[in-house]
Amino acid sequence: MNIDFAPELEAFRREVADFFASAPTPAIREAGRKTTSVFAPFKECMEWHRILYDQGWVAPHWPKDYGGTGWSVEQRFIFAEEYRKADLPPLLPQSLGMVGPLLIDLGTQAQKDLYLPRILSGQDFWAQGYSEPNSGSDLASLSCRADADGDDYIINGSKIWTTYAHHANRMFMLVRTSNEGKKQQGITFLLLDRMDYPGMVVRPIVGLDGFPEQCEVFFDNVRVPQSGRVGAENDGWSVAKHLLKHERGGSGGASPALTRYCERARAAAAQTPSPFGGMLADDPVFQRDVGELEADIASLGHFEKLAISGHEVAQDPAFPSMNKTINSELIQRASTLMMQVSGVDSLARQLEALRVGSNVEPLGSEFDLVAMPLYLNSRATTIYAGSNEVQRDLIARSMASSGAGA
Amino acid sequence: MDFNYTEEQQMLRDSVGKYLEKNYDFDARQKIVRSHAPWSPDVWQQFAEMGLLALPFSQERGGLGGSVTDCVAFAELFGRHLVTEPFTHSVMLAGAALAAADGTDAQAWLHKLIAGEAVIAFAYEEGHGTPSLDLVTMTAQKSGECYAVFGEKRLVVAGGDAQALVVVARMGEGGAPALFLVEAGAEGIQTRAYPTIDGRSTANIRFDGVRAVLLTGADQQLDRILANAIIVQCAEAVGAMGALVTLTSEYAMTRKQFGMPIAGFQAVAHRLADMKIAYGKARATLIYTTALAESGASGPRDIAILKGQTGKLGRAIGEAAIQTHGGVGMTDELSVSHYHKHLLACDAMFGDHSYHFRKVGQG
Repeated sequence: MNIDFAPELEAFRREVADFFASAPTPAIREAGRKTTSVFAPFKECMEWHRILYDQGWVAPHWPKDYGGTGWSVEQRFIFAEEYRKADLPPLLPQSLGMVGPLLIDLGTQAQKDLYLPRILSGQDFWAQGYSEPNSGSDLASLSCRADADGDDYIINGSKIWTTYAHHANRMFMLVRTSNEGKKQQGITFLLLDRMDYPGMVVRPIVGLDGFPEQCEVFFDNVRVPQSGRVGAENDGWSVAKHLLKHERGGSGGASPALTRYCERARAAAAQTPSPFGGMLADDPVFQRDVGELEADIASLGHFEKLAISGHEVAQDPAFPSMNKTINSELIQRASTLMMQVSGVDSLARQLEALRVGSNVEPLGSEFDLVAMPLYLNSRATTIYAGSNEVQRDLIARSMASSGAGA
Repeated sequence: MDFNYTEEQQMLRDSVGKYLEKNYDFDARQKIVRSHAPWSPDVWQQFAEMGLLALPFSQERGGLGGSVTDCVAFAELFGRHLVTEPFTHSVMLAGAALAAADGTDAQAWLHKLIAGEAVIAFAYEEGHGTPSLDLVTMTAQKSGECYAVFGEKRLVVAGGDAQALVVVARMGEGGAPALFLVEAGAEGIQTRAYPTIDGRSTANIRFDGVRAVLLTGADQQLDRILANAIIVQCAEAVGAMGALVTLTSEYAMTRKQFGMPIAGFQAVAHRLADMKIAYGKARATLIYTTALAESGASGPRDIAILKGQTGKLGRAIGEAAIQTHGGVGMTDELSVSHYHKHLLACDAMFGDHSYHFRKVGQG
């Protein structure tokens, strides 16, 4: 075993930190501080995306030939750590983390040539069309139909929980192309070049935190070319499963962001009086709780580092489900801690003050401003990308075939 | 970054694993626990011949110059087989204390330990989990060339059977903690030996002015010795957790109720999944912290995280294993309850998870 602490890495850390200190605009910084979801404010997030692209750092987890950085595992973690310390908006995962890596692995040459450069540069933003009103956890039961017609498909049906579809200019989706055989067998993976095809309607859905982050997308005889298919017709389920491998993201995992949440909660607790006297940060119960949470976050970080270095833990077929379960539940615990520290100060509904560039002065601190929306939004983490009930089913099933892996 | 065992470590692990599979299955282990001997002298001798008792010590001290990772590699298997022989306490703690000292007495005892001719106990615990050297109250007073130690130690693993003891005591009241060597049977020692819930031989020992030789008082050395021993004990615990996850999932796949394997019921399946998640977290934390320690970069916070996580997750896995096994999980006949009791002991010793989490939270 070895962990590299070479002096060159410290120089790299300084280079990254210097860049993060100088490159983002004030609006981008504000968007980072006001991010209350996995999905950062769109406009500023894409501005930041383009700055990182110009620097060559937009896709550290992509192969170097396709525009990746060629960094070592250590460098990627340093990059992720400094990124979070700087409170910058996380880049949106749908293009860089999902459809991009998928096309690198499974796309045709024409698809790669057309889409990959535009994903990297931030010209395109992709929406993910998977869930449907009647197909959530049971995704394979999806019924949005695509009927072949000449060189085209005609799509009828709807998609839901399509994050930022109202900002997207392209969409990847799963459609039903056959009702024969098992439900998984009649699914096809499609790329849509536009969001404004005739018959296509995007309706934003206001979430419990007050923001229209999710959307519903309706298809009424929407004609799209078959050249947008990835993989074979009726083989979309295996394409989607392949994509799952990439969903764990390449930015160094979730642990740096979670560590940042704890740092913010600690800083606020140092300013908050405890009802039992002294400050909350010195309260034994608070210390015990935050310590347990930080230990769990550290363990997730260790799990992520082992995985990204190619250790056997990541070869386990249940690894993506384990990682998703741990990560999503920690986001909830960390945001719950923030909300509890903020207490009654988190109860004000301050949608306008949360908008980037707003002139409205927030009530209380910036911590109080974000604590409740972050908590509310994080209820989604154990629901999206396969609910944690489904993940636990998958983990238990993997134990039936392989034992526990002990 | 590379978190894999080296080829050499894997070979050592394989040979220890083969030996234990052949000679230390659960029945053989229970025979040792139920015998009148505190542990198996044959097994201990075999460990000596395999070089395990020499592994962590430098070559100048007659050891093999192994790293903490070398020890972790096979300590996981010790946990899987519920080995009751006092490796962590006698080798990682008492042995390391002797290796840190220069005196001829210390070297002679270390030599005997390495050869398997003597077992040395480590008298540290004072009854509260003693998670930190700061909590040691036992004192030593200068007495001629040597020292006299006063106070009580509890849960001294192998304390009733060892030929010598390494005792942690303060240099006078309020002084810094230091390590002393005491010979078993010296005047002023009162020993009450007893077995632990996890089948180990331990003792409470009163020291009333017992003659003691100073080994070392360097606090950095003390911290390092304790940290390495905690890592190895956590490796044993993680090995036990892995065994419980395997046993329990196998049981749930075969035990039928209501006409189907109980693993098919979602409530049971999800508990299995949580056990596997807990094991994954604990093992990743063990491996990463071990690599950090080997790189010389682990600090008190890293050790507290490992110890806290291993304690909490170990207990959770043990409780889930018993619940999943149902009635038979409650019996002495199945290994499940023995794994659980071992995990409880690992949590309680050197500070339980609540203590370590609060230390992490104090920042």
